[in-house]
Amino acid sequence: MAALLALERLDKRYGAVHAVADVSLAFEAGRLHAVVGENGAGKSTLLKMAAGVVVPDAGEVVIDGVRLDQHTAREAIARGIGMVQQHFALVGVLSALDNVMLGAEPVRALGRLDVERARARAVAVAREMGVSLPWEAPVETLGVGDRQRLEIVRTLVREARVVILDEPTAVLTPGEAAALYTTLRRLADAGRAVVVVTHHLDEVRDHADTVSVIRRGKLVSSRPMNRRDGEAMAALTRDIMGEGPPPRLERRARQLGEVQLELRDVRRGRALRGVTLRVRAGEIVGVAGVEGNGQRELVRVLAGLEPVDGGVVQAGPVAVVHEDRHAEGLVLAASVRDNLVLGELARFARLGMVDGAALEREARGRLERARVVPPDLDAPAAALSGGNQQKIVVARAVARAERGARVLVLAQPTRGVDLGAARAIHAEIAAAAEAGRAVLLVSADLGELRTLCDRILVMARGRIVTELPPDAPDARIGEAMLGGDAAPGAEARP
Amino acid sequence: MIERLRGATTATVAGVAAGWLALALLVWAYGEAPAAIAGQLLSGTWGMPYGIGQVLYKATPLLLTGVAVELALRAGLFNIGAEGQLAVAGLAVATLGAHLPRGTPAWLALPAVLAIAPLAGAAWAVVPAILRARFGAHEVISTIMMNRIADAAVGLALARGLAIPGTVRTPDVVPGARLPRLEALGLTSLHGSAVSFALPLAVVVAALAAVWLARSRVGREVVLVGLSPTACAAERIPVARRLAAALVLSGAVAGLAAVAPVLGYKGYFESGLGAGAGFGGIAVALLGRGHPVGLVLSALLFGTLEQGGLVINARVPMEVTTVLQGVIIVAVALADARVRAALLGRGRAR
Amino acid sequence: MSFLAAVLSATMLAQTLRMAVPYVCAGLGGVWSERSGVVNIALEGILLAGGLAGVVAHVATGSAWTGVAAGAIVGAAIGALHAVIVVRGRVDAIVSGLAVNLAAAGGTRFLLRTLYDSSSNSPPVEGFRVAGLGGGSGVALLARTALDPLTLATAALVAGTAWTMLRTRFGLRVRACGEEPAAAAAVGVDVPRVRLAAVSLGGAICGLGGVALAYDQHQFQSGMSGGRGFIALAAVVLSGWRPGRAAAACVAFAALDAVQIVVQDQARAAGYAAQMLPYLAALVALWVIARRRGQGAIAGRPPAALGKAID
Repeated sequence: MAALLALERLDKRYGAVHAVADVSLAFEAGRLHAVVGENGAGKSTLLKMAAGVVVPDAGEVVIDGVRLDQHTAREAIARGIGMVQQHFALVGVLSALDNVMLGAEPVRALGRLDVERARARAVAVAREMGVSLPWEAPVETLGVGDRQRLEIVRTLVREARVVILDEPTAVLTPGEAAALYTTLRRLADAGRAVVVVTHHLDEVRDHADTVSVIRRGKLVSSRPMNRRDGEAMAALTRDIMGEGPPPRLERRARQLGEVQLELRDVRRGRALRGVTLRVRAGEIVGVAGVEGNGQRELVRVLAGLEPVDGGVVQAGPVAVVHEDRHAEGLVLAASVRDNLVLGELARFARLGMVDGAALEREARGRLERARVVPPDLDAPAAALSGGNQQKIVVARAVARAERGARVLVLAQPTRGVDLGAARAIHAEIAAAAEAGRAVLLVSADLGELRTLCDRILVMARGRIVTELPPDAPDARIGEAMLGGDAAPGAEARP
Repeated sequence: MIERLRGATTATVAGVAAGWLALALLVWAYGEAPAAIAGQLLSGTWGMPYGIGQVLYKATPLLLTGVAVELALRAGLFNIGAEGQLAVAGLAVATLGAHLPRGTPAWLALPAVLAIAPLAGAAWAVVPAILRARFGAHEVISTIMMNRIADAAVGLALARGLAIPGTVRTPDVVPGARLPRLEALGLTSLHGSAVSFALPLAVVVAALAAVWLARSRVGREVVLVGLSPTACAAERIPVARRLAAALVLSGAVAGLAAVAPVLGYKGYFESGLGAGAGFGGIAVALLGRGHPVGLVLSALLFGTLEQGGLVINARVPMEVTTVLQGVIIVAVALADARVRAALLGRGRAR
Repeated sequence: MSFLAAVLSATMLAQTLRMAVPYVCAGLGGVWSERSGVVNIALEGILLAGGLAGVVAHVATGSAWTGVAAGAIVGAAIGALHAVIVVRGRVDAIVSGLAVNLAAAGGTRFLLRTLYDSSSNSPPVEGFRVAGLGGGSGVALLARTALDPLTLATAALVAGTAWTMLRTRFGLRVRACGEEPAAAAAVGVDVPRVRLAAVSLGGAICGLGGVALAYDQHQFQSGMSGGRGFIALAAVVLSGWRPGRAAAACVAFAALDAVQIVVQDQARAAGYAAQMLPYLAALVALWVIARRRGQGAIAGRPPAALGKAID
């Protein structure tokens, strides 16, 4: 079957980073094609070039035998390539229907919007997909699942023949993910090329017709998916990781000490609805859950950035790694030095003036320990790779934990970070626990949680709904993520 | 580091070049010969001692308002209110200076009047500072409003008794409160010009401001807040307090700018004295690129333009210099934006 | 005439209406620009430039309508310049706006001297005189003001802006660019182009306001905008960036201006106090609104992408 969409020798660099290196790939109509790889491997960038969102440095995007020549989103959409991005391209204050119309609005005289025609078309497409949406509601009031369906409807309204989805299940519960794939299968069966960018191997195993593996910007392999072949799955994993699966972090038996962090029925706005948990010195407790269930507010409350509406928080000083290093973890335009000691200037100040030498010593020490290469204290944080940036943020928190903070809270600490840096960060976390800190690890990465944690709490709809051992099966965890029926306070259930 | 210097130079060169080009165009449009006018401008300013003195005199308040705007800018704030802060401070200085006992010696009178200037300027910045820090109301609008209110308030105060009856000026300040002209230093070459000890004072303030921003704890935190308020808030740096501090300090320095015309030149305050230095300070800060030496050079440039405008006024309207300010600001900002983007190494997706 | 009677008279109403036109035009200019995401503090400069352009064209051709066209065109051009500097040049919108204001202030005075050899006013112009409604009574003045072509045009522009913003393709795109430009770009909207169009349109309307200002005084005077551009911007912010409400806020400020005239007749010192009124009012309103927004009232929050660096 001839390829509907062909990517030919696409290449893209961002400064020193070679994000996509000479990749050629073909997508066929009627197939569900998974593009897999680790975080930061370059898969998103590759598909964004196909969709006209990113301009390639070299190479061609060919649809139906004809090349794209302007490489704009407009052109790609006009030629039938639709993309649902990881961070939805929706305007929150506008209605669902407005968002579907935007960019391809049907008009009457004087540029007047033809709302009836737009609605009729949207409803028809939605019905074909098997969904229904509240068209007049502002998008910001819609849940994540609805927003995603809206994005898909939009690509279909534009008559996309290639539908690309970038990490679509990152924000869905396992049940919603299954529903999504049913819809995608329908689309593929209707003759479209469906492309899913993901790093979840289970989805690939269960749903993909073809699998392509990207590692460090290069295409490693591309073959039809054979579900029954166990060896094929192992080969796939090897393709992705480069070598065998990472060695499990050796978990030394740790002495557990006093309870250093305790939350009892903590409430905050609509996000936290009665969170109860306890962490002891030397323990690493994980909080699993799909984004949007209160994790962000939980971390903010623990960091002391938000007051609680109800309940009790008992903790000494807390060192925090926030989930968004670009917005909250780093002052990107400031030097690495400033970032390493951010918020601690009072410590180095005598009579209002900062002791430059002392600050320099401390910063250099932290930099060396974090093993950032090259070790340049003057460089602006923005110039560092994601992995190095995160190492700095973690180094700062760990240093605080050593200096008196008894509790270390980390949110998504290895998101968007390369494998080497991730392993270094995991080692720091384990070391902090061994040194007697109470560690709370909030993460959407189940693998990370399984590697590090002594026990895993599952958070759903603003509450901790259950507690599971790190080797609990995926299905069990997924089921818990959907829950929320557990009585508040139930925190220990094997 | 070298790249940053190169980037800064490019932007400055772009600004100055654009300025000269615009001047040439406007002069030519007016019907005069650009070269001749440019020559006249330069000879009337840097070509004679009186001219140099006048340039220095005009540069003094510009340097101070430039520092003021820069302080706010580092915090990510725009202090458009230097005009009003300066006017209120001028009135305050002149009034206090005039009401001191006649024989007050300089070592008593000068500190008093020199202290009230920044206090008055800071006071005039307090309302916008609180509005911004506590309520998030944009300081551009509030500082502009404060300028206009200052106009009216100063007029009201003068009409209601602070002025000499029948005039719009305050009485003279006592002799002890005056800042001696620089020619008192024996620099007879500056004879007749208005430049006073306010100039070295301004330079010292510029240097102190730079040190404060780079070495003091509050100053460094102000800079960090300006770069990323969210990250600072996440690390418990008191963002609102730092923003307020920056704006109030900015007002204080702007207020200090009033001492040059009031204490160093006229010896009294009148409506409109010092006007233009507030907006000029914005141009100085933007061209000065955040470096004290840059601010001084920039103040000298705009001081030259201001004095030069008077010199050529007989042949070409002096308003050209205002237009030039606008052109230079844009040219520098355009060049700067490209440099900054390149430095931070952002690869742009479209 | 007692103060109260003076304030509530037809004359006062007429004065308010007359003075409101430049404010409202500048306000609409601000709405178009800022809804698309571009902060525009250059309204003051555009009022001046538009006013001078109108007068110059009027003097040169003898036609008031040509003046109107010239004012709109110059306003659009300056708006476009501001937009290009901000959107393509990636310069901070406030820096660009300030520069435009400076250049306009100096430039208009420069042109006054160049063209008319005066540093303060232009030759007199006729403007629009509504025929057949002479007489000095308050009601007559009110009628003349209401039927002035520029007043009618302004009213139409208010309605037109509201309708266009909500019901047309252009309006939808402008709103999208002001809220989530990245999302708009992802679906193929040319964000820089939409912003350029919106800011230019706003500039044209603001330029009209400048022409109205000059025609009202039957000449152009140096610095005649007198802060109206900034007040109009404050009105836009206070009204939550909505055209109808911004216009209403502008009229309210114009009323304060008109009160000032009445008061100045009474006492000079009080005149200064009255002069402060519009600005004090703006500050107080700014505070009240900011407090309410801080408490979570989302109505009338700024367009999300306003003032943010693009990309």
